[in-house]
Amino acid sequence: MTLAADKNTDIVVPDGHVKLTIDGAEVVAPKGELLIRTAERLGTVIPRFCDHPLLEPAGACRQCLVEVEMGGRPMPKPQASCTLTVADGMVVKTQLTSPVADKAQAGVMELLLINHPLDCPICDKGGECPLQNQALKHGRTDSRFTETKRTFPKPIAVSSQVLLDRERCVLCQRCTRFSEQIAGDPFIELLERGSQQQIGTAQDQPFQSYFSGNTIQICPVGALTSAAYRFRSRPFDLVSTPSVCEHCAGGCATRTDWRRGKITRRLAAEDPQVNEEWICDKGRFAFTYTTEPDRLLRPRVRDAKTGELRDASWTEALRVAAEGLTKAKEAGGVGVLPGGRLTVEDAYAYSKFARVALGTNDIDYRNRPSSAEELAFLGSTVSGTNPEHGVTYGDIEKAPAVLLIALEPEEEAPGVFLRLRKGNRKHGNRVFHMGQWTTPAVVKTNGTLIPCLPGEEADMLGRLPSEVDELLRRPDAVILLGERAAEITGLFSTARELAAQTGAKLAWIPRRAGELAAIEAGALPTMLPGGRPVTDSVARAEVELAWGLETGTLPTAEGRDLAGILGAVANGRLAGLVIGSVDVHDLPNPELAERALDSGVFVVSLDLRESSVTRRADVVLPVAAISEKAGTYINWEGRRRPFPVVITGTNRLPDCRVLDTLAVEMDADLFTQTPAAAMADLGRLGHHTGNRIPAPSVDAGRPNRPGQRHAVLATWHQLIDHGSMQDGEPHLAGTARPAVARLSVDTAKAFGVADAALITVGTDRGSVTLLAEFADLPEGVVWLPSNSTPATVRTSLGAGHGALVTVTTAANGAAS
Amino acid sequence: MTEMLNDVFGQDTRTKAQQLIARYPQSRSALLPMLHLVQSVEGFVSQDGIRFCAEQLELTTAEVSAVATFYTMYKRKPCGEHLVSVCTNTLCAALGGDAIYARLKEELGSDGKPLGHEQTSEDGKVTLEHAECLAACDLGPVLQVNYEYFDNQDPDTASDLVAKLRAGERPAPTRGAPLTDFKQAELQLAGFFEGRDLDVAGPSAAKETLRGNTVAQDRGWSAPVMPDGVLPPVPEKKK
Repeated sequence: MTLAADKNTDIVVPDGHVKLTIDGAEVVAPKGELLIRTAERLGTVIPRFCDHPLLEPAGACRQCLVEVEMGGRPMPKPQASCTLTVADGMVVKTQLTSPVADKAQAGVMELLLINHPLDCPICDKGGECPLQNQALKHGRTDSRFTETKRTFPKPIAVSSQVLLDRERCVLCQRCTRFSEQIAGDPFIELLERGSQQQIGTAQDQPFQSYFSGNTIQICPVGALTSAAYRFRSRPFDLVSTPSVCEHCAGGCATRTDWRRGKITRRLAAEDPQVNEEWICDKGRFAFTYTTEPDRLLRPRVRDAKTGELRDASWTEALRVAAEGLTKAKEAGGVGVLPGGRLTVEDAYAYSKFARVALGTNDIDYRNRPSSAEELAFLGSTVSGTNPEHGVTYGDIEKAPAVLLIALEPEEEAPGVFLRLRKGNRKHGNRVFHMGQWTTPAVVKTNGTLIPCLPGEEADMLGRLPSEVDELLRRPDAVILLGERAAEITGLFSTARELAAQTGAKLAWIPRRAGELAAIEAGALPTMLPGGRPVTDSVARAEVELAWGLETGTLPTAEGRDLAGILGAVANGRLAGLVIGSVDVHDLPNPELAERALDSGVFVVSLDLRESSVTRRADVVLPVAAISEKAGTYINWEGRRRPFPVVITGTNRLPDCRVLDTLAVEMDADLFTQTPAAAMADLGRLGHHTGNRIPAPSVDAGRPNRPGQRHAVLATWHQLIDHGSMQDGEPHLAGTARPAVARLSVDTAKAFGVADAALITVGTDRGSVTLLAEFADLPEGVVWLPSNSTPATVRTSLGAGHGALVTVTTAANGAAS
Repeated sequence: MTEMLNDVFGQDTRTKAQQLIARYPQSRSALLPMLHLVQSVEGFVSQDGIRFCAEQLELTTAEVSAVATFYTMYKRKPCGEHLVSVCTNTLCAALGGDAIYARLKEELGSDGKPLGHEQTSEDGKVTLEHAECLAACDLGPVLQVNYEYFDNQDPDTASDLVAKLRAGERPAPTRGAPLTDFKQAELQLAGFFEGRDLDVAGPSAAKETLRGNTVAQDRGWSAPVMPDGVLPPVPEKKK
């Protein structure tokens, strides 16, 4: 190296940078950089516990002490390099060159270990513990402390999910700083003082944060442990596989740790462009649904004699399915409902299966309320979305203003919520939430509520406060639409107009992980893969060429959407259904769906677990769970999120493989035998550069107005609720927000329920009874969580966002 | 439906809380006086008190608990009518503070059990605590009743004082404001004097404290005048 020779030459210091010396080497560092980071870039690791690059500096643990000289004057004591920013002419000596720094660090380490139980052999963190590692590297071999250690009762549950062992804690405050700064849920704090100082919660408020699991991961000692993982394994016995979260459309990078064919835990992986280093608790803990006892392991066929489902071989099941579907195809046709949680590869297989094997465009992945306007929006605006041209997480963080419409970020897209909060904290973003009440997310993003009636959102866009309109005209402003936009007539059209007028970027953030992939794969009645309109002959010819089909093979008319398919089944015009992982209770009209399934239609169901669909199916084909297959999600940014198989050797087949084989039985070739093959086949289609589906142009609808007898319902899902992908994890379920019905005091008075603890919200279909809580909703509006009670909004009320409902005092004292 | 904490903290306390908040640019800065305000109502910081502060200041109860458990002046168990704090830091302890504290523990205890730190005598009159330095070393050993000084104490005078407090008397402190009770003192700490402003207006320094100053004045001593705006020279770099 020429380090010594360079020492006297002039190093050019760029603008905004300073020159300093660390351990004798001259370094140029950007102004404001923390010393510990500069040293790190130089390859010198200074031991630390409290320092975390995504948290604000604290200087709490004192482990990173170094000797510092400024302007020729040594600072009187060793300094914490995690709070000290670099300065011109600074001379720093780390433990590598300074006996003072080395001794200071050794002293801090010894003090940190005085009350530490040294129970590494039984500690979850043992083997991946910064305290253990650094104690072994820099610490003494023996403790000089012979007195009795301070002890605490342990562990204490700071929530049902997070357990705290106060004896192991070194009071670095990473957890409290994370909760306060990143999540905005300061429900854990440093309590007491002196030797009794400890992390804790208030007596009346457990650590119920959707992001609490991150504190377990960033705890540099074994103080915070997960109730689900505690004492399950040692980290060095685990295989770690990179993975992508399958819950929301965020596409967070995760790491799945497993052994002996079982997942033991899931952690946040680092991806600065997407989730930084954080994931929500649902992404972290909700993976046990794949090992529930009702998991389907073998194909099932409805026995011709008994009429009951019985286990069958793959050969038999595929034969029966192929025969039934062929017959149904001839008897009127088959509809395909793939569901919204598929990878691109699997969705592509459904899309191709519908067109090639079934010869139909009757395919709709949207297992939720949807509209024709939405369909046009997905084709015209969402398909082809990618991070180069569209909105990204980074854009949300840097945007001067973000307008959220019909989107509750913390509940529906937690990663987006964290970026909104970060954007506000770091860059002073203005965040506007068009919704019904001041939700925790509005408060934590320091946002402004633009209140409106449920269903009035589209109309409200034409009457935005001038301040909002002005801010949206600033460069890089962003408008975000959520899942329930489909329930609001005219919202997609008016949002597009607003974006065009103001120049703000527009993005759509659905709730399910598979939505963008399904759009890209063409799992919609109007679109072939890549957003190619089915009615466009050029687009069809492109696809026919790539798929090796004869010209004119592909159906030319737009297919039926979800409601159309179910309606056609119910009145006998469709004779068969191929259904992916779809729960009828998610559908806008579960009653219609059940009626359709019960109408004698031939149903082939591809699913993970028993469901309301598999129980009614003629053939049930079990498919691989996310951890048992490779694939690619596309997140809301349009970013491809490929992931490998986590648990190998399960012999479970992904949907694309099952459909490929089923198609072969029906004398059609999909070329989707493996996810890689499916991806390659999709890749051969290339980008679509031709005509797109025209944008929707629907006038803002007239919302239902509350009256004397009816209130208007606002509803959305809570992040942690009764969703079937959260089954089997009671600790996670314990951190769900309480299910309450919200309404304003005036509304409660108007409906005569002001004094009632429990209120019943009803329609002619049924009712939901919940504890009532006052909030700042518009007059005549009542809010319910969509799926947080045994009685759900869709199934029990048969209603949705913007519907008219009755509000009464609960008849008997029990919540439903 | 959701209930507000109206029961314990009435409208008057709410008004005072709002006055406290109005004193600061950021509402959370009002937490310290707010906790004293809560103590002035209940004689300690209860869970209701923590919720009250959290509600008023838009903090979480964890944040309020963190502050309330850090400072020793916020009591987490109900206090008696008076709070007696005996300094047992080094100087006072050596001068007799330890002996005072031991005597009071015995005398305030019941059933042969001495009273412990931050415990209250059975009649509810006196809560006893041993305190860190009360900043009156020149007058040690000292004790405070409701944070008012009783200087130059010994076990007998302290015992006499506590007996009077238990008998309902309010002996005058050595200096400072006349004695009230713990809750009233807490209200003053919160910044509400309720017409007792004069109590704290007068000088409260003892002559012992000012003795050095007096001597200097008598003899015409003064510190050398520093020229304005000139900093002392930088000492030479250590080799």
